[in-house]
Amino acid sequence: MADYRELWKSLDMDLEKHDQLCEVLPKFYDEIYLSQEKRPEGMNYFNFVIAEVHGLRIQELAEHRKNGQKVVGSFCVFVPDEVISAADAVGVGLCSGSDFWIPDGEKYLPRNSCPLVKAAVGAKTSGTCPYFQSCDLLVGETTCDGKKKAWEILGEHVPMHVMDLPQMKREKDKIHWMDEIRIFIDELEELTGNKITEESLARGIELINKKREVLQRLYDLRKEENLPISGKDALLVTQIAFYDNPERFIEKTNELCEELEKRVQNKESVFAEGTPRILVSGTPMAVPNWKLHHMIETSGGSVVCEETCTGTRYFENLVDNTGETMEEQIKALSDRYLNINCACFTPNPGRIDDILRLYKEYKADGVVYYTLPFCQTYATEFKKVKEALDKADIPVIMIESDYSLQDAGQLKTRLEAFFEMLEPKKEIAAANK
Amino acid sequence: MKTRKYLYILFPSYNDGLALESILKTKFISYTIVPTPRDLSKCCGISMKVEDKDVESIKDIVDGNPNISIEGIFELKKPRKSLFGSL
Repeated sequence: MADYRELWKSLDMDLEKHDQLCEVLPKFYDEIYLSQEKRPEGMNYFNFVIAEVHGLRIQELAEHRKNGQKVVGSFCVFVPDEVISAADAVGVGLCSGSDFWIPDGEKYLPRNSCPLVKAAVGAKTSGTCPYFQSCDLLVGETTCDGKKKAWEILGEHVPMHVMDLPQMKREKDKIHWMDEIRIFIDELEELTGNKITEESLARGIELINKKREVLQRLYDLRKEENLPISGKDALLVTQIAFYDNPERFIEKTNELCEELEKRVQNKESVFAEGTPRILVSGTPMAVPNWKLHHMIETSGGSVVCEETCTGTRYFENLVDNTGETMEEQIKALSDRYLNINCACFTPNPGRIDDILRLYKEYKADGVVYYTLPFCQTYATEFKKVKEALDKADIPVIMIESDYSLQDAGQLKTRLEAFFEMLEPKKEIAAANK
Repeated sequence: MKTRKYLYILFPSYNDGLALESILKTKFISYTIVPTPRDLSKCCGISMKVEDKDVESIKDIVDGNPNISIEGIFELKKPRKSLFGSL
């Protein structure tokens, strides 16, 4: 077997503790992913990426660094990957989705912080995540209070740059965000020693747009009546998009889509006919947070779309690539990113429009509104979302759950009851067709 | 408790796994790339889960391709105890 211990040691990792983490993943992945029937063959690549999650990709990052490139870690879909790519740096998504890191996070943060923030801090401070250990710079943003204060703590361990995301979408906020992108460009030029030019930024925009297009291609296939891929598998592909080599990811996801398109032609589905179609809306799910999708898809439902940061918010809308000057390009980046409807904005009617639109586009039967505990913005925004969904006669259930598996039984009972409730609605809809 | 029989091929490096994969694809032999079960090795990385009926053909392929090294083919009988409790 490939032995990556020397590599991990060179990254100053806690090998003993890391070994405990490695103990869990194969079993967890086996139960959630490998237990599925009729998986596309193209998912073998994504199995490979997960199997090598702390191996090959980390080795690649080490090689990039050996060649003088810098590795830049980020936590949020607002950090413009195009700029990182234009500086010839390597971007990796760092959101942390494992319960394993929570106790270490709680050494630094209040227990009533959200699991994602606690896990991110725990992953770094415990020295058990080779991605954190490979980063030359972490880029945070001001999307919530928990993160803002966590950056100050992480900044004691690793160089940190924070982008000040405005919380409203007025003209002055757009100007402010353009300014933040300019500051980010300066920061990366200083870090890498590479000048970001119109040409390199255009290349970055082209590459990241291609990544968005392939994800949109994958998600379009989930609009089909016969679902060629499970929600779990689609979620995995999106999660991997955050840290895989972008060119390879685009190639492999296109290959997967070709296979799925054949399945669509042959009317093959991974689910039994009539399985309720669910739109998941809410907080992000970082690797290995597969819990909600697994619960839904083992309780009689199928996930057809995620209105989350590990879903449509990540890839919908391309950056306009017609800008010729740096200012035009920065404006195009700012416009695309500020068009993301995160619950950190006030007011945020665009998110409700998105949920209603996605519900129709993906032919969903119901919405599972998901929040991580202590995520104030998403939990509070549920009221407005529910009012809008009630008005449109769209069934919705709110699930608040962390990374632990203790509430699995309770969640299953609630989800099964929700799916049963959808049956009469589906029959009425079918009769009205 | 139910038990299931799995056969896993372990490799010295992921390159060997990918080389074998490319041949299995052309011969339409089904396989799944999986994270190596901890019961078989403490090292992280890929292995390949294959069906019992294909093992002899796969052994022949490996024997006929000196550029593909494997560490062995192992059977794993494991109790199917769910991490999610009794779902």
